[in-house]
Amino acid sequence: MADGNGKACCGPGYASPAEAITADREKLLYTVALYVGTGVEKPDYLATVDVDPDSPTYSSVIARTEMQQIGDELHHSGWNACSSCHDDASKSRRFLLMPGVRSSNINVIDTSDATNPSVHKVVSGDDIKAKTNLSGPHTVHCLGADIIISMLGDADGNGPGGFLHLNENFEIVGRWENDNAGMNYNYDFWYQPRHNMMVSSEWAAPNTFMPGFDLDDVAAGKYGQSVHFWDFNGKTISKSFDLGAEGMIPLEVRGLHDPTSNHGYFAATLSSNVFHWWKDDNGEIQLEKVIDIPTIDVEGFPVPMPSLITDILISMDDKYLYFANWLHGDLRQYDITDRSNPKMTGQVWLGGMLGKAPEVNGIKVQGAPQMIQLSLDGKRLYVTTSLFSSWDNQFYPDMKDKGAQMYLVDCDVENGGMTINPDFVVDFGKEPNGPSRCHEMRYPGGDVTSDIWI
Amino acid sequence: MADPATHKVTVANRGGRTFDVREDQTILDVCEANGVILPVACRYGGCITCAGRLVSGKVRQPKGTALNKRQSQAGYILMCVAHPKQDCVVEVGVESHGDLYQNPFSVPRK
Ligand code: FES
Repeated sequence: MADGNGKACCGPGYASPAEAITADREKLLYTVALYVGTGVEKPDYLATVDVDPDSPTYSSVIARTEMQQIGDELHHSGWNACSSCHDDASKSRRFLLMPGVRSSNINVIDTSDATNPSVHKVVSGDDIKAKTNLSGPHTVHCLGADIIISMLGDADGNGPGGFLHLNENFEIVGRWENDNAGMNYNYDFWYQPRHNMMVSSEWAAPNTFMPGFDLDDVAAGKYGQSVHFWDFNGKTISKSFDLGAEGMIPLEVRGLHDPTSNHGYFAATLSSNVFHWWKDDNGEIQLEKVIDIPTIDVEGFPVPMPSLITDILISMDDKYLYFANWLHGDLRQYDITDRSNPKMTGQVWLGGMLGKAPEVNGIKVQGAPQMIQLSLDGKRLYVTTSLFSSWDNQFYPDMKDKGAQMYLVDCDVENGGMTINPDFVVDFGKEPNGPSRCHEMRYPGGDVTSDIWI
Repeated sequence: MADPATHKVTVANRGGRTFDVREDQTILDVCEANGVILPVACRYGGCITCAGRLVSGKVRQPKGTALNKRQSQAGYILMCVAHPKQDCVVEVGVESHGDLYQNPFSVPRK
């Protein structure tokens, strides 16, 4: 089993994005699977999915690692070490940190046995709240030996949140940032020390998004519309951009993989626009809107429906941008060779509220394209259909009884183009303890949203 | 000091089981102590996982819970922070969530 440790002499991951592209094909894939909001009173779990087409159990869940308590709402995850420590032979990509957004617990999963991971430690949400006045853990990135996690609220679930700093033994060090002045809310972040840069985005306070999405909350300014560019070494915000109506709810932030580049993209989820950022020759951050998905008037709906771009990622060669429109129901591929002028090169439909593809590969799709994960070589895009339990229950209420699904989309990396693979579907509606929701995915050897080269 | 008052809380959709709940206890804690398993996550009123419907009676809850105004008006309470002030009848679990969520694009804006 390839563990992503390219050479025996080295630490985790790969020497460069180019080396990562040539790694062995992924054979296993992890996804979080949730029982929150389904009526099954069981802990959430990590599902190991067989993605090796030569295996007899291809396209099925082959192991389940249960968390220790119910109600975490597992969401995103991150490794204790990635390619940024490739030169350090004392480090290994062994522990996957899986925060519970609702419980604020951080589940540390030991993947030494890649097929059957185990719970190594739980950092208690109560301890985190008591020591740092933070709750709602979200994005995990390793930082050399240490780990930082974006936190969406204070201990009472109010904004703006901050960043939690853990040491390599997963002990709470405290808050990472020196000052969070300028932040209204928090969500995802991406960093690149080579450019002394970190970029963070804004969802909303836990007290606002937990009960579900409400347009009155948007009107009351309770959802984010700013992104923040940090002085990474100084741990303070150096510049914030208020994006206004074009930039409502900026979520996933993705920098290009090439560490010499200071470009990146993020999507404003509610406004359903994609923005491009870069640092110009004078070191000033520039921002431009490069993709705008129009709202659609749905028969019987008094309010025009946005596409809701919920996840976005960049291929390891920095050539293609992919994103999911969770309400409209499509997945798109854009060629971003010309950084300011992305060209759409592929599109597939899976579920969604427009009814364009209600059934795919013989299964009724619950939800629509949501979290995506791309293989290192860029040819296989895995996609799951659940967003967040209370939002799922709002927009796709049948999912709680029928479970979410995982599909595979084959991507043409030469000429562009996407097709749904007819031989792959994992229906989490058929899980042994009852239907569950699958969400973010990770490969044991690292993937296009986990690793940063410094 | 006198012991806090006790009220009867009936869980309508769990066979009508009825428990004595003191005003200093939460409905969730007493249900769990009696083996009624309810959805739960944060246990401090911040996440809505434990929401259920108050069919009759009155409860005391802290201000600033995760329920929005529409959800409160539809009769939802959060079992993890709800203390009875009178005898109450409640419906619990995901089966009670029929009116908890709505698609905001499908309903007229006020
Ligand atoms: S368990 Fe989170 S609100 Fe009750």
